Amino acid sequence: MLLFKGPRDQILAPLQSVCGIVEKRHTLPILSNVLMEKDGERLTLLATDIEIQIRTGTAVPGGEKAALTVAARKLQDILRSLPESAEVNLTLDEKRLTLKAGKSRFNLQTLPAEDFPRMATADGQQNQLTLTQKQFKRLLSLVQYSMAQQDIRYYLNGLLLVVNGSEIRMVATDGHRLAYASEEIGGQHQRLEVILPRKTVLELSRQLADNDEALEISLSPTQAQFRFGDIELVSKLIDGKFPDYERVIPQNHNKVLTLSHDMLFHSLQRAAILTNEKFRGVRLVLAPGSLKIISTNAEQEEAQEEIELDYQEETLDVGFNVTYLLDVLNNVSGDTIECRLADANSSALITLPGNDRFKYVVMPMRI
Amino acid sequence: MTAPPRRIAHLDMDAFYASVELLRYPELRGQPVVIGGRSTQPPTTAADGSRRYARLADYKGRGVITTSTYEARALGVFSAMGMMKAARLAPAAILLPADFDAYRHYSRLFKAAVAAIAPQIEDRGIDEIYIDLTELPEDSLALARRIKQAVRDTTGLSCSIGIAPNKLLAKICSDLDKPDGITLLAMADVPARIWPLPVRKINGIGPKATERLAALGIATIADLAAADPAVLRRHFGPGYGTWLHDAARGLDERPVVTSSEPKSISRETTFERDLHPRQDRAVLAEIFTDLCERVAGDLRRKGYAGRTVGIKLRYDDFHTVTRDHTLAAAVADAAAIRRAAGECLKRAPLDKRLRLLGVRVGALERPDETPAPATPAQGELPL
Repeated sequence: MLLFKGPRDQILAPLQSVCGIVEKRHTLPILSNVLMEKDGERLTLLATDIEIQIRTGTAVPGGEKAALTVAARKLQDILRSLPESAEVNLTLDEKRLTLKAGKSRFNLQTLPAEDFPRMATADGQQNQLTLTQKQFKRLLSLVQYSMAQQDIRYYLNGLLLVVNGSEIRMVATDGHRLAYASEEIGGQHQRLEVILPRKTVLELSRQLADNDEALEISLSPTQAQFRFGDIELVSKLIDGKFPDYERVIPQNHNKVLTLSHDMLFHSLQRAAILTNEKFRGVRLVLAPGSLKIISTNAEQEEAQEEIELDYQEETLDVGFNVTYLLDVLNNVSGDTIECRLADANSSALITLPGNDRFKYVVMPMRI
Repeated sequence: MTAPPRRIAHLDMDAFYASVELLRYPELRGQPVVIGGRSTQPPTTAADGSRRYARLADYKGRGVITTSTYEARALGVFSAMGMMKAARLAPAAILLPADFDAYRHYSRLFKAAVAAIAPQIEDRGIDEIYIDLTELPEDSLALARRIKQAVRDTTGLSCSIGIAPNKLLAKICSDLDKPDGITLLAMADVPARIWPLPVRKINGIGPKATERLAALGIATIADLAAADPAVLRRHFGPGYGTWLHDAARGLDERPVVTSSEPKSISRETTFERDLHPRQDRAVLAEIFTDLCERVAGDLRRKGYAGRTVGIKLRYDDFHTVTRDHTLAAAVADAAAIRRAAGECLKRAPLDKRLRLLGVRVGALERPDETPAPATPAQGELPL
């Protein structure tokens, strides 16, 4: 029975869209498979890890209905290693999937489609919002690098998404630094706070396009659904209370530096080379008219960078993990950034001049 | 060259909690006394100095007996029995609340007394220890007498000691001549003295396994020793089956572990009936949380935190699996343990009924002893 016939990329692209979430090792073996369902002239592809489910599809020649599951990675690896111009033919016979392309032929085992777990769609109250893919992707990029990884405070291993009135807000923190970004999206939305799991955030970030096409989001208290292009992504939410982020955003730091983004970024990159590999500490030494960036490593090698700036307050010597500073500079755009400091034990607040929609708070490191 | 045979003693305090209470209330000596019940009132002292005790007949509630004196045991009242049921058997028995601080105090005293004579001690809980006597010059009987006397001199309490070539047999022996007994056993005595005993006398064969062995026609340790090891392995899984076969023949290589620093702290429980991960999800979740809380309690009491959280599952076919999860930082609280253990559970097959669930915290460290790092310290956001 013919499942698909067409150029390689017409099946590889949707397969790659769903396969990113397939776990290499899972207790349920069928979860390393992708579900393929043919109905009329559409072939739907679906993969899940139980927490996230992604569905997309592609046009195929009409014919009988069919459904199967097959090892996602193997199919993807085969398709990827075929020449880009290859014409691919997928057929299902006797519970085996046959892939033919030119003189190549592959025979794969399948598992029954009815055994494949699908996430139930949450009922009940839904909050709907629509924004462009570009908008959401940009917001994600501004905060997602601050998410915790495998923190025992499980609610930090994700990203707080707040919809309130006409504003959407994202916050992520790993306990050492916190990133906050917001954007006006119009409309009047009921207030809702959800925590998107880390994996969902990374997947969205990977898949959203940098364009003005629509991203439709439905939020319920337990589930989030994202529809964009031909893709539907359903994700469970992290059930937990995100900490009160507003209280860690400093209000009264009196030492204000305005710095060239690129100059600071490049200086930090160079200084980072001679930081201790494990702790990655750099000292920022602030004095009237200049900012020195100093690093040393275990071999007692030393780097020193100096940036001239318009600063007339008292001197300050404060340490930071250079990775946390590079992270934010890597993800914000703009010619200048503002940095507010108080003393060697207080956080630094990094913002963009004339923009209160982005804030980055980072705690110092005692070096 | 073979190593010389080991001499391992198992020392078990006689009716420990009850005996400690009798030290405090000597007038109760010779009477049936039971300890237990969460709501049990301590004795009240009248103006003339006489004491009034609660009686078992007065007890209302669902408490169970923690322990009882030998006199109460003679009336059929044993530990873990429901108190209301016990009240029907021995209504006049004196009822006392448990005082674990006192028991811990006497526990430390008797262990210190033993350590002065034989320092190779493995702590097995509040009222029992294993002692490795192999390296000591005296003969076993003299040592046992000396240890018993030292325990009596420091605590006023009696104990029973079994001395055998290994821990398994020593543990069986200490129970053979209770209370106030000494039992010496050599490998050659196993057929005559151990084999006639019922299988449940082996530490590690619980009520469930006893039942399953009975179904195979195995009642005594002799029956077990005669059983085909292949049959045992088929019925109980390779690990437990092999162990059963060895245990019946009195074989046990476990060393006496004298290190007082635990490698891990764990709690496990065998269910009253086998539970299915899905159908009995609610019950299992409750047991799971309770185990985590108990482990957290143990960690707190002993002053440890651990970085590795593990679970142990035994299925109805005795197949046992474990799963571990190592965290970035040591944890000690029940919620954190529960979360990490929950992660482990996700990685275990859950399609068969379970008979046992265990939770373990390993990679232990003492948070209060971690020295302040001279290394760089990343500040924490006041979240």
